[in-house]
Amino acid sequence: MTAAPSAATVSRQSAPEPAGPPGTPAPREGGPARASRRRKARTGWLFASPALLTIAAVTVFPVLFSVLLSFADIRLEYGGFRIESLTGDHYAAVLGSPEWRQALFFTFGFTVVTVVLELVLGTLAALVLDRLGAARGWVLAVLLLPWALINVVAAQLWGYLYNGTYGGLTWLFGQLLGQQPDILGQPASAMGAMVVVDVWKTTPFVAIVVLAGLMLIPGDVYEAAEIDGANAWTTFWKVTLPQLRPIMAIAVLFRILQAFGIFDLPFVLTQGGPGTATQSLAILGYKTLFQNLEIGRGAAVATTTAVIVIGCCLLFLRLFKAQADEGGRG
Amino acid sequence: MALRRRTLLASGLALGAGFTSGCAGKPLDTLLTQAAHTPRTPATLTWWVSEIPARNGPVVADLIIRAFQRRHPNIRVRKSNALSATDANRAAVTTQLAGASPTPDVYLGDTTWPAQFGANSLALPLQKLLPKDFWEGYPPALRRVSEYRGAVYALPFYTDSAYLFYRKDLLAKHGLPVPRTWEELLRTSRKIQRAGDAAYGFLWQANVSESLTCNVAEFLADADAPVLDGEGKVALNGPGAERAFAMMRQFTETGVSPATVTTYVEADSQDAFVGGRGVFLRNWSYAWGNAADRSASKIAGRVGVAPRPGFDGGGPPGVSCAGGWSNFVNPNSHNLGAAVAFARFCAGEEAQMILLKNAGVIPAMQEVLTRPEARQAGDPTLTMAHGLRLVARPVQTPYYSQVSKALYTQGNAVTGGRTSPAGAVRAAREDIRTALEGRAL
Repeated sequence: MTAAPSAATVSRQSAPEPAGPPGTPAPREGGPARASRRRKARTGWLFASPALLTIAAVTVFPVLFSVLLSFADIRLEYGGFRIESLTGDHYAAVLGSPEWRQALFFTFGFTVVTVVLELVLGTLAALVLDRLGAARGWVLAVLLLPWALINVVAAQLWGYLYNGTYGGLTWLFGQLLGQQPDILGQPASAMGAMVVVDVWKTTPFVAIVVLAGLMLIPGDVYEAAEIDGANAWTTFWKVTLPQLRPIMAIAVLFRILQAFGIFDLPFVLTQGGPGTATQSLAILGYKTLFQNLEIGRGAAVATTTAVIVIGCCLLFLRLFKAQADEGGRG
Repeated sequence: MALRRRTLLASGLALGAGFTSGCAGKPLDTLLTQAAHTPRTPATLTWWVSEIPARNGPVVADLIIRAFQRRHPNIRVRKSNALSATDANRAAVTTQLAGASPTPDVYLGDTTWPAQFGANSLALPLQKLLPKDFWEGYPPALRRVSEYRGAVYALPFYTDSAYLFYRKDLLAKHGLPVPRTWEELLRTSRKIQRAGDAAYGFLWQANVSESLTCNVAEFLADADAPVLDGEGKVALNGPGAERAFAMMRQFTETGVSPATVTTYVEADSQDAFVGGRGVFLRNWSYAWGNAADRSASKIAGRVGVAPRPGFDGGGPPGVSCAGGWSNFVNPNSHNLGAAVAFARFCAGEEAQMILLKNAGVIPAMQEVLTRPEARQAGDPTLTMAHGLRLVARPVQTPYYSQVSKALYTQGNAVTGGRTSPAGAVRAAREDIRTALEGRAL
């Protein structure tokens, strides 16, 4: 199978050749042509500048300022603030803190478990949806309901189910086990409860994304597999899954970014408890910044979290690319 | 082009230098001069106020605003509804204040905030604007928590005290007295639970929040175990502290408290109590009104209230955490004079009488509690307030938030059976030391 030319290749191939007879060096650009190109470039920058300024104001500046704050010894004053010195102490305090390590451990574990579960369940749901006929629209609508709920509302709803006094699930487990469980009061069950809510809420998102990928796979690929005598299992592993890889990578990237920033679920369900067992990095950053009013350390928590999540995403993309290259060679 | 690049670089450096040095504030003397004069021209204030529990129906904050506006017709007060949960309320208001917002002009805040807010310039120091005898009418514990390094950052509004609410009918049925010690409460609870008259004995708050810090502070005071010493250094240690933590564990271990108490804040414990699931409840004074409300309580008319018990062989019962809410003045307010006038009005006799007659809280001014209206209100928490032994949480450090976290994290762990009482005391001690050294997150 020959690879289709990429957009970059096409654009390079179709670029106009410099004027002049073949075999002779291209004439040096004259003054008027260069001036015209500069004018065009200036006009381009002029038109792009509102968008660039907006991006700089709402994205680049806050990020850079947050990084600056994470190195700053800040003193709040009446009606203002003063940066007294620049220091690396906040990072030393954050990285040396057992609480930060525990929050990192929880966030990382939560991300890995939920992303894997959601990918598997979402893919299975998408495969089922792909084979549904007229009912697909209805099933899709029902499946999307949890995803459409606002996170805090969904967490509160599950909070009622898990509630130790009147929670429906607590009662049900109490009937089944003969003893009322303390779902949100013990570290393992609290984390499990949180994983359940996240999987319930976010699997539909993964299913929709994967379904879109399934619908893009051309039918003739399956016909070819059938002619070659591939059974359903082989077709899935050798045809469907490789074709889905790029879109699954996008879904996983989105999910890593979201799961690593988990805030609303622990905030509503457990406040980071029991103890600090479900305290995510985002909750830790919030408490450091807004409860303890430690601006520099809060910014250091935010910056380290951002660095870690970017690192995770890059690592994932590298692994994905290596695997794709290997698959391509195979 | 090179020139432009240089210009751009220079502008960037200038901007960076500007942010690096910060945005300079205003001198305190200028602010205090403005704050010393109540304006005679029209002014509008914003008052950040969470719901004040009402006993009779009318919204208490509105009654106070109307009374103030009658005294100061040129000043209008607008209400900004704040969250009731202390931690979420603090996060919301500090976001505004740290951004140098001029509103809210006055904000109602927890009595644990003054040191932290004072140290971070989020509240105006008010001692120079107060008469020398200002504090004579208020509890000394309230004055202590309102000050930080000799400056007053909060003016008293109302206090909150903790009581033991109990089922009168169940104690009468079993012929048992109201317990005066925790050991007696355990025995009484088990007897009533064994008879199948209540699912649980004692309901309280052990979630990882400030609510649990209050409970821990009370149990430690019952066992005569201080958190900090006179010099502000960590003093949590020894058999007294272990006894306090051991009792918290004993409640869940014996089934007197549900295992899920580790997820309870005030609302959860109260829901369980008014739903008839418990014999005893530790809660703030406002729980009296909620338990007596026939539309929301299954046990209305069957509830009694008493001071919290103490330990067997320990000090007398009646220890209560000094809770409550006070008014702070935003130093960035454009109406400092009006803001100070309003905060002082709320601490004054007229507003305190409005609280006495209408609110389910205890007015901060001690003298009004002796008035006939206190008895007429029909709320026993008002008349009992005088006899309580108020204990202050260790709030006189700007790191109180981290100190509190150390207490509630270990309190939650020991109640949930994840650590031993001795282990909890050791870990809390170490965490508090780290917090006081400014090294905790």
